[in-house]
Amino acid sequence: MAAENSKQFWKRSAKLPGSIQPVYGAQHPPLDPRLTKNFIKERSKVNAIPLKNKKASSFHEFARNTSDAWDIGDDEEEDFSSPSFQTLNSKVALATAAQVLENHSKLRLKPERSQSTTSDVPASYKVIKSSSDAQLSRNSSDTCLRNTLHKQQSLPLRPIIPLVARISDQNASGAPPMTVREKTRLEKFRQLLSSHNTDLDELRKCSWPGVPREVRPVTWRLLSGYLPANTERRKLTLQRKREEYFGFIEQYYDSRNEEHHQDTYRQIHIDIPRTNPLIPLFQQPLVQEIFERILFIWAIRHPASGYVQGINDLVTPFFVVFLSEYVGAGYGLIEEERLWHENPAHIGEEDVENFDVTNLSQDILRSIEADSFWCMSKLLDGIQDNYTFAQPGIQKKVKALEELVSRIDEQVHNHFRRYEVEYLQFAFRWMNNLLMRELPLRCTIRLWDTYQSEPEGFSHFHLYVCAAFLIKWRKEILDEEDFQGLLMLLQNLPTIHWGNEEIGLLLAEAYRLKYMFADAPNHYRR
Amino acid sequence: MTYAYLFKYIIIGDTGVGKSCLLLQFTDKRFQPVHDLTIGVEFGARMVNIDGKQIKLQIWDTAGQESFRSITRSYYRGAAGALLVYDITRRETFNHLTSWLEDARQHSSSNMVIMLIGNKSDLESRRDVKREEGEAFAREHGLIFMETSAKTACNVEEAFINTAKEIYRKIQQGLFDVHNEANGIKIGPQQCISTSVGSSASQRNSGDVESNSGCC
Repeated sequence: MAAENSKQFWKRSAKLPGSIQPVYGAQHPPLDPRLTKNFIKERSKVNAIPLKNKKASSFHEFARNTSDAWDIGDDEEEDFSSPSFQTLNSKVALATAAQVLENHSKLRLKPERSQSTTSDVPASYKVIKSSSDAQLSRNSSDTCLRNTLHKQQSLPLRPIIPLVARISDQNASGAPPMTVREKTRLEKFRQLLSSHNTDLDELRKCSWPGVPREVRPVTWRLLSGYLPANTERRKLTLQRKREEYFGFIEQYYDSRNEEHHQDTYRQIHIDIPRTNPLIPLFQQPLVQEIFERILFIWAIRHPASGYVQGINDLVTPFFVVFLSEYVGAGYGLIEEERLWHENPAHIGEEDVENFDVTNLSQDILRSIEADSFWCMSKLLDGIQDNYTFAQPGIQKKVKALEELVSRIDEQVHNHFRRYEVEYLQFAFRWMNNLLMRELPLRCTIRLWDTYQSEPEGFSHFHLYVCAAFLIKWRKEILDEEDFQGLLMLLQNLPTIHWGNEEIGLLLAEAYRLKYMFADAPNHYRR
Repeated sequence: MTYAYLFKYIIIGDTGVGKSCLLLQFTDKRFQPVHDLTIGVEFGARMVNIDGKQIKLQIWDTAGQESFRSITRSYYRGAAGALLVYDITRRETFNHLTSWLEDARQHSSSNMVIMLIGNKSDLESRRDVKREEGEAFAREHGLIFMETSAKTACNVEEAFINTAKEIYRKIQQGLFDVHNEANGIKIGPQQCISTSVGSSASQRNSGDVESNSGCC
């Protein structure tokens, strides 16, 4: 039955946009190799494109390669708004997710790949660049047999897509020792990070599917543009920037009680105890003082927006990641040594969340504080119109989300209209707090690996992540049949058990959406 | 569950005065000492009983920070009742009432019932605004007034229910056009069994609360 299914599926999927290529390793049961060989041959003929050893080197080649995207509806009435498209759509999404995860892991595992059964994968799989739409287009339209996420999760996926999912898994308490693949990946990061001039494009590419916890602090500093690529300049830059930050503190922090700043400070002061109220780390006075200083200095240096609630959340991931360097055995090492230090796998997010910062020296705390300030500042530079008067950035993005959802899932969109649910009612917070309120902290950290690797990750890609996130709940949404039920669901989405795997799938789906819509405003026009 | 009417409320007031805690106490009967910041608006609902009639309350809890004002303003339109909250331990939250009231009057339907609430009445030792001051402000501006404690639940039921009673009274006097949804009132679906009972933790029935208990 499975075989029959897969055949049927291939028949169907040939009508999907973009070129269809077989998926290896992400399919259960595995494809019949004979079938796939024929398949590849046929597809190659049809497209007149040599699939092996070629990147889409020109637009024409790319266009030819995806020309079948416009064949939809030739011999089958596929209305994009029809339910069948919806199912198909989610299939593609899931397949894409699996595919992206798989591809990203393959990317860094060439030695292993050659030994594995996937050695006959067409060379076109080799590259997935988060910044290269053309490349991903092919991969993102690749499909495999998956019906619903629910089903997929019940499939034995672990042996198939464990790599990315577990490498940086923050739920690592009691996790098994690193696999060979994870070690290889970590090694790759370390090489990149310690080379004389870190190749930032390569680093972004490697980071897109998640950064190993051991190297996340330094990787984030680089990705955010805080730390220079040149290793020799790093130490000095850090020193200079940290001094600069504490110069601000010295110069401005006393003004918090002066008349023109006291409203800002009071607001921050009453918000800090309400930031991450359930995580013990943030109830410690030292930590709260650090947050107050960071937010106050940022606010008075950015009078166009000032401090807006929600910005307080955005310090958290940086603070936790930079603090994680000192939780466990990494403590006491100097910056350069820490990169090579094997962090025990059992040190997880929970250890950080319960860590007592009085264990750390003043100097270390100051470094963490300054680094968090600068990295948060870099992030906010890209989304400042979210927080200026009347929050135009958010208004625009919520509208864009509505527009996008109306095209990719008309059923959900119409369901909202029917029950008079407005996107602003639930998605305002998604934009204002970058989904941080909707996801566990560990998931936000993983999400930010990708946001920082993606061009305009926080300002633009986030929109597609929100769309993917919404559609992820389509079944639950369609099950609710009144305004009240819908709102209660949408403001309490059950993500508490989410981990890297869910975020990986979400990101892959977001990537697919971005590819389809970013430069095609009329795509799927209603 | 059938209901005779649906009333829409909005909760407004300075940041940190306890708006979300009042809502949580009313819908879930619990108090969360450290509450997440409200971003934009949050939604809650509960069924109450007025004069033997089931009335569904749908409540928008708004963020208090000035920056969100342009977002929260749009929720005045379509609200039949507003709870305007200040913190009796922080005078500045009382001083800002005038500007809140202006905002509310300007953006709502003229019949909107406004209940002034002095919250945190459990913190008597830190009181900064006298009850009489609240009463005077309410009298002057034609508002209903109560002091509440979201922490001890004192007067929380009453605040929500008395507002509903006042709206109901206005309906009976013909002051509200119940067919115009912009007034924040909807007539319930006749004979219709609602399927949403139990779908939200925030929906409960409540007995009719007759008069203010003297706890505050």
